[in-house]
Amino acid sequence: MASNTQATPTGPATAPSVRQPTAQWARGPAVPIASVVFALAIGAVLVLLSGHDPISAYADLFRGAFGSPYDITETLIQTIPLVLAGLSVAVAFRTGLFNIGAESQLLIGAVAAGAVGARFADLPGFLLFPMVLAAGIGAGAAWAAIAGYLKAARGVNEVITTIMQNYIVVFVMHWLLQNGPMTAPNALGTPASSPIGAGAVLPIIIPNELVPLTRLHAGIFLAIGAVVVFWFLLWRTPLGYELRAVGLGARAAAQAGIDPRTHTVMAMAIAGGFAGLAGMIQVTGVFHRVFDGFSAGYGFDAIAVALLGKNSPIGIVLAALLFGAFARGGSIMQANAGVSSQLVSVIEAIVLFVIAAELIVRLLSARRGRKPVEAIA
Amino acid sequence: MKRALAFLLLATTVVAACSSGNNAATSTPTASATASATATPKPIQVGLVTDVGGLNDKSFNQAANTGRLNAEKDFGLKTSVIESKKQEDYVPNLTTFAQQNYDLVIAVGFLMQNAAWKVAKQFPNVKFAIIDGAPADDAGAAQNLPNVANLFFKEQEAGYLVGVIAATMAKNKVGKATHNTLCSMGGIPIPPVDHYMAGFQDAIKTVDPSATILIGYSNDFVDQQKGKEVGLNHISKNCDILFQVAGGSGLGYIAAAKEKGVYAIGVDVDQIDVAPGTVITSAMKRVDKAVYDTSSSVKSGSFKAGDNFFSATNDGIAYGKLDPIVPADAKAAADKALADIKSGAIKPKTDLTVKP
Repeated sequence: MASNTQATPTGPATAPSVRQPTAQWARGPAVPIASVVFALAIGAVLVLLSGHDPISAYADLFRGAFGSPYDITETLIQTIPLVLAGLSVAVAFRTGLFNIGAESQLLIGAVAAGAVGARFADLPGFLLFPMVLAAGIGAGAAWAAIAGYLKAARGVNEVITTIMQNYIVVFVMHWLLQNGPMTAPNALGTPASSPIGAGAVLPIIIPNELVPLTRLHAGIFLAIGAVVVFWFLLWRTPLGYELRAVGLGARAAAQAGIDPRTHTVMAMAIAGGFAGLAGMIQVTGVFHRVFDGFSAGYGFDAIAVALLGKNSPIGIVLAALLFGAFARGGSIMQANAGVSSQLVSVIEAIVLFVIAAELIVRLLSARRGRKPVEAIA
Repeated sequence: MKRALAFLLLATTVVAACSSGNNAATSTPTASATASATATPKPIQVGLVTDVGGLNDKSFNQAANTGRLNAEKDFGLKTSVIESKKQEDYVPNLTTFAQQNYDLVIAVGFLMQNAAWKVAKQFPNVKFAIIDGAPADDAGAAQNLPNVANLFFKEQEAGYLVGVIAATMAKNKVGKATHNTLCSMGGIPIPPVDHYMAGFQDAIKTVDPSATILIGYSNDFVDQQKGKEVGLNHISKNCDILFQVAGGSGLGYIAAAKEKGVYAIGVDVDQIDVAPGTVITSAMKRVDKAVYDTSSSVKSGSFKAGDNFFSATNDGIAYGKLDPIVPADAKAAADKALADIKSGAIKPKTDLTVKP
């Protein structure tokens, strides 16, 4: 593995700069790439042990994700929520916060978008869509700001509060959708809300003649826009500078006249907004209604995406694409090679494990060497 | 920003065009290859898509997979399975098999009714089957399609069989069944649930009209606690044998029976292992049989779209393994009832006699 690490060009070893995300990324990709290669190698051994051919399994994995235009669009559909939830986690990371609650912020954004979209279903699109968009982002932001406020005002660790918030939303969704105010009358036992109005539905962006049956929706543009906003906000605005300053050292930032507490609340609200947008896009682009428990852990995968992507815009997009490809390709691998799609979960876990290990080593050595501690990743 | 979007669109289009070009190029040799190899006909391909329960759910998905593997072995089919990890995977997973020109694509469970409707409409030349469901449009209304088989079960017959066993035990006061009181709990009052309980009640009234029958609903298919509350309530009213028809919530009903030392009856799959000594038998839907028979029908050309019923006549329903406490006369009575249902001498009711 070591050879892999060294073989990858690591770029100039510049001092950490708060100004140049691209430079940081150029210095950074060695470890993420090595961790993915390492995880794939371990995965190959597991496939071999289970009596299958790893080469054909990985070929099927790749073909499942990128083998046809339809597969590519399905991979992108999986990637979109991962990008947005990844941005959510990354904004918090950059401000020195662990947002473990992207999942609940995503879900509450979906619930709000679904509720508004169904309640005002008759409104025309130019009114309804902005309302649904605002509901999704606003709900996620407000929900996450609670954890930010508790941290700023009461010193409650945001890891604890955001984890607890996940449970609250999951059970509120059970209530809302199984037998509550949002339950659709003819859901046939599937806990789901009524469909949202046609005006709120994100259109399919590729014509059926070009890629038959594709479900790729305009949410991809919202996701790309969000990546640009993330980059611009953090590296081109005073607020972003202050957020990153708090992330690099809250006490130093306070000395410089930046109040870490208000910035903690703001960072969480922004993080929640990104995650809420992810939920809103899933509702308006994929389901057109809210299902109970539909997310299947995008908010948790997002933590891995942000870490693997080193909290940089390009890194997050690439990491989300990788995880999206795993999600889509895993199904095909199971269908064609007979290898359980659980394998991709194992690979993802190993990736995360390697990155976390590297992070700890780096933090320890930075402390020992009295080098400036970088923002996490 | 605008330029980036334009680039993206362009890139997508180019990729799409290239790949479809590739497909066209590669498909020609494949076609000629198959044409030259006409001596060995292409094996029938069957694809199974599980719902989010996954392959090891000890319920419908697992049973369906057993049926798939048996069909593969016995009929020389080529079969595959995809586990759905989340609800949004249903459409692409079904589409994956359909695009690869599978002969039959089976969707496990009514959760996939809408997804199956969407995909089956797009692939009229591929056959589909839905376990326990029929194609449903976006508004949730059932809409039969000419290429989709709806695989339903006569639950009342399975309910009748376990009802005969339970009532015979209660009448003869076997073991802890001393009050001649029999109860059942449904999840939500929907037809398949009520059919089970209607057959159960019908059998009890036939075996011993003087037996007491109670019925309740947990209004839930997941929450065990709700099932347990109904169970404890029933037991406090002298219920000795509790029949659960509430999926996960029903496990709480069984737990109540176990806690209070009375008997329970499982549902859908063989649940004798859930609580040995408490569960005396199970009212089973043979999902494996439905998958097996439908795969066979595609091979033999007897595939039938629309409603297909699995019943005692085609071994589509059954009673599960018996606890040793069940006496021989109860088993004999159940076997006789099974024969009578097959011959048509008994037609278990589908409407509840005793209502909540």
